[in-house]
Amino acid sequence: MSPRLAPERVPTAGVSARPRSAVRRRISKVTLYGTLIVASAFLLLPFFWLLMSSLKKDNDVFTVPIRWIPEIFEWHNYVDIWVNADMGIWLKNTMILSIVVTLLQVFTGSFAAYGFSRIRFPGRNALFLGYVATIAVPWQAYMVPQFIMLSKVGLTNTLWSMIALQAFGAFGVFLMKQFYETVPEELSEAARVDGLSEFGIYRRIMLPLSVPAIASLALLTFVKTWNDYLGPRIYLRDRDLFTIQLGLKTFTADPQHASQFALVMTGSVLSVVPIAIIFMAGQRYFVEGIATSGMKG
Amino acid sequence: MTTVVEPGLRRRRNRLRWRNTVSGWTFILPNFVGFALLTLVPIVALIYISFTNWNAFGAADWMGLKNYTRLFKDRSYRVALWNTVYYTVFHLPLTLAVSLGLALLLNRKIKAVAFFRTAAFFPYITSVVAIAIVWNLLFSPEYGPINQVLSFIGVDNPPRWTVSSDWSMPAIIIVATWREMGYYMILFLAGLQAIPRELYEAARVDGASSWGRFRNVTVPCLRPTTFFVTVMLSIESFKVFDLILVMTDGGPGQSTFVLSQMIFNKAFVENQYGYASAVSVSLFVICLAITVFQFLVNRRIER
Amino acid sequence: MKKRMWTMAGAVAISGALALSGCGGDNGDTPSGGSINLTVSGWSLETTPEFQVLADAFHAANPDVTVEIVEYDAADYQTLIQVDMSAGKAPDIITIKEAKVTHSWATGGQLLDISDVVQALPSNVSGAGSYAIDGVNYGAPYRQDSWVLFYNQDLFDAAGIAYPDGKWTWDDYAKAARDLTAALGAAGSQALGAYEHSWQSTLQGFAQAQTPGADLFSGKYDYLKPYYERVLALQDDGAQATFGTISTNKLTYQAQFGKQQAAMMAMGSWYVATLVTQQKGGEADNFKWGIAPVPQYSSSTFAKPVTFGDPTGMGINAKIDSAKLEAAKQFLAFVASETAAVELAKIGIVSSVTGDAVTAAYFAQAGLPTDDLSKEAMSNHVTKPENPQGETIGAIQTILGATHTAVMSESQSVDDAIAEAQDRFENEIEI
Repeated sequence: MSPRLAPERVPTAGVSARPRSAVRRRISKVTLYGTLIVASAFLLLPFFWLLMSSLKKDNDVFTVPIRWIPEIFEWHNYVDIWVNADMGIWLKNTMILSIVVTLLQVFTGSFAAYGFSRIRFPGRNALFLGYVATIAVPWQAYMVPQFIMLSKVGLTNTLWSMIALQAFGAFGVFLMKQFYETVPEELSEAARVDGLSEFGIYRRIMLPLSVPAIASLALLTFVKTWNDYLGPRIYLRDRDLFTIQLGLKTFTADPQHASQFALVMTGSVLSVVPIAIIFMAGQRYFVEGIATSGMKG
Repeated sequence: MTTVVEPGLRRRRNRLRWRNTVSGWTFILPNFVGFALLTLVPIVALIYISFTNWNAFGAADWMGLKNYTRLFKDRSYRVALWNTVYYTVFHLPLTLAVSLGLALLLNRKIKAVAFFRTAAFFPYITSVVAIAIVWNLLFSPEYGPINQVLSFIGVDNPPRWTVSSDWSMPAIIIVATWREMGYYMILFLAGLQAIPRELYEAARVDGASSWGRFRNVTVPCLRPTTFFVTVMLSIESFKVFDLILVMTDGGPGQSTFVLSQMIFNKAFVENQYGYASAVSVSLFVICLAITVFQFLVNRRIER
Repeated sequence: MKKRMWTMAGAVAISGALALSGCGGDNGDTPSGGSINLTVSGWSLETTPEFQVLADAFHAANPDVTVEIVEYDAADYQTLIQVDMSAGKAPDIITIKEAKVTHSWATGGQLLDISDVVQALPSNVSGAGSYAIDGVNYGAPYRQDSWVLFYNQDLFDAAGIAYPDGKWTWDDYAKAARDLTAALGAAGSQALGAYEHSWQSTLQGFAQAQTPGADLFSGKYDYLKPYYERVLALQDDGAQATFGTISTNKLTYQAQFGKQQAAMMAMGSWYVATLVTQQKGGEADNFKWGIAPVPQYSSSTFAKPVTFGDPTGMGINAKIDSAKLEAAKQFLAFVASETAAVELAKIGIVSSVTGDAVTAAYFAQAGLPTDDLSKEAMSNHVTKPENPQGETIGAIQTILGATHTAVMSESQSVDDAIAEAQDRFENEIEI
């Protein structure tokens, strides 16, 4: 359980930096890319299945043995989901929720994390432990008391309820705090001596330094909100408030009726695209944290 | 605190502490208000409910410790607890290792690295329902590709995976690791950026091998991230729910029946909300104990 | 010291907030003027048109009452409606999707006693017993499906095997399944003799309804054994898809029967409407099919075949505005009436009311088989409840659900699995 256990099993980086002959370097490069490509295929397999199933008829989605490629491509599924279903509305709601929740979570999380990691005050550690420990309570366990509370103030069945629910999690606080710990204390001390206020230190020093952490927090929060099912299910009841996950559920009927599996798959494919684009575009921030080198040591 | 200090110094110290408390809380407050109202209050209510026989509506009678004594006698609780621990013990180190390995592998300037990182993250963003379907297809005992490969390489009695009570949990662990490694890879990638390049250069100058650099530079500098990932992974493993629900629904028999599923079933299928709350509180206490332990170990290493 | 103070202060603040949030104001909309608006909970309105049909028919007969359907998700219906009940926000009339929740909803004070309505219903209404606790009625059934045997006449003809004649025991069924599989295989067809869906009820429902003396609440489940052994043998002989294949490949019964992968299938009568729709829309193949009574435990029940099925019904929310109560009761009496039943029959729904007018309306739909046995199978049977009323029914079904997957996946022998179910009953069910 201790963090010490892990590294023993970790494979070391495949390519050593020691000089080698050009041939050997080329071989190792080919091996590396070969491995990566095979692994990627394995990772993308479910998505491939989704994509193919989205082009089938409902009763052809599940067959024995598996048929990966459809006999006839039903392209119209990609039109139907916009025309005959409300994909546009679902996308808009999901977008609003994910963006607002991510902004709030990043802001309040990084702000609070600064208080927890850089300012010493009584009760700090106990409070922080309390924060982290509440992550351990499954949401479905306390959703009823929470729902009763929020419906007393009339917040249910609004996008606000979902924003309120997801924006103040302990996850962001914990993540940002851990990252701040890696920034040397001397930096903020020096700034303090220079007369910078605590807010100034947060704003001018910590924030710029923590770009990779903020990028990952934003991405993970965005994906979590984007794919959340149970929360929106409980709180958002009107059809014009549905998110993509709720919308897709309207295609699966109860066991007594036939589900529109092909449309479920179509919607699932469409739902992944925006995240994949955001990730592709934003992934460099995990690697090129601004000005991290040269700060330490 | 016990040493005698002159009054002026003490006053100054008190003032500093007061100022720190105010500014500390100022930073924490925006998040704390939302957190306290929306998470803490319902959790306190949940703890109260765990001492009652509430069925999610109607009156709640105070039961004292009855729900908790029932836990100790309940066979299904023991099964669920055991399965949850089984899952955690394997899933945690496996995911930690694989995601760190992935992060190291993809933390370099190679061609199309953006594509490979996206691929690694794809399982996490693909809908869990689709994942469950495809992995179930792959695991299918008679027609699945996995068993076809296994019999091809000469395995006589390939496991029946999700339809066998012995192999269903290993199957779940494999899929869960596969699904979450990209998620934790992101965190490790972010952590790796905080390590100054100079440290690697210095180690290289000292003639350290790549393993040595990993041991003496990467591991210690990555510790805050590793700690975060370990704590989150243990908590999330103890809470595992949706993947199991869609892959095996706790079966066959009770072989993949875990605590969160027990909580959900007792609360919403069998209408024993009070008892379900007691299970949640027990889950909370276990996770709290583990988290405190991890914090203590972490602090020990820090020193 | 300081630390403790903080914790104390925190605890006080939290309990204060809790007390505040606990005592909110009351909400409720009072009907204004002469017209009354009733809300009814429903699900998947596109695939489940029955709610709107009932609402419209009632409004036509009672113009001053409008009925509004509040839509819920079908799969999460129970969770959602219960959360709404907890918050006091559930609709005026609550549809009871699964009869097994009646006990906790009624004893939890969520449903009104509507014995006056139910006891005035005509005698040809079945299923009210599923909503009665100690002689008090909490729900009026409007729908009563029961399980029948669907068979593909084209495949039977191809195999040269006689259609079911309504006088089959389960052994006859098993023999037919094997013969069909062999004959169809010899004719070059992929189709198997039978398909049994992976649900617990597909097997346990019959065992419990048909075996003399079988009782869910007894904690003795030996009666399941012959049913399981028969099915396991069929699985092993390849006469039906295995449980492993069904669950890992997520096979749907609609595709298995509709795409002619199996020659016969026991299923609830709701499938009639789906099959007709799918044959019309091209999702299912075009083939001739028929309905027969389900196979029996023994020949003694051939005259009046025993099958199972739970009704769907509606109850009245205990928090309903008293001004709306009369209208709500009228609505419940209406949904269980013959007028409503005929309307439901027209859209392919098997209502809780039996009678010639209802049967005639049902079989007047296009695409249905018209032979006598099919009509007989739909109208002449004893339907026992899948979930008999009792406080512990939910917990018992959970235990038996685990038994089902353990046996069907062949992870456990039938004897061991039954023994474990009985142990768990002793251990977990509080009587």
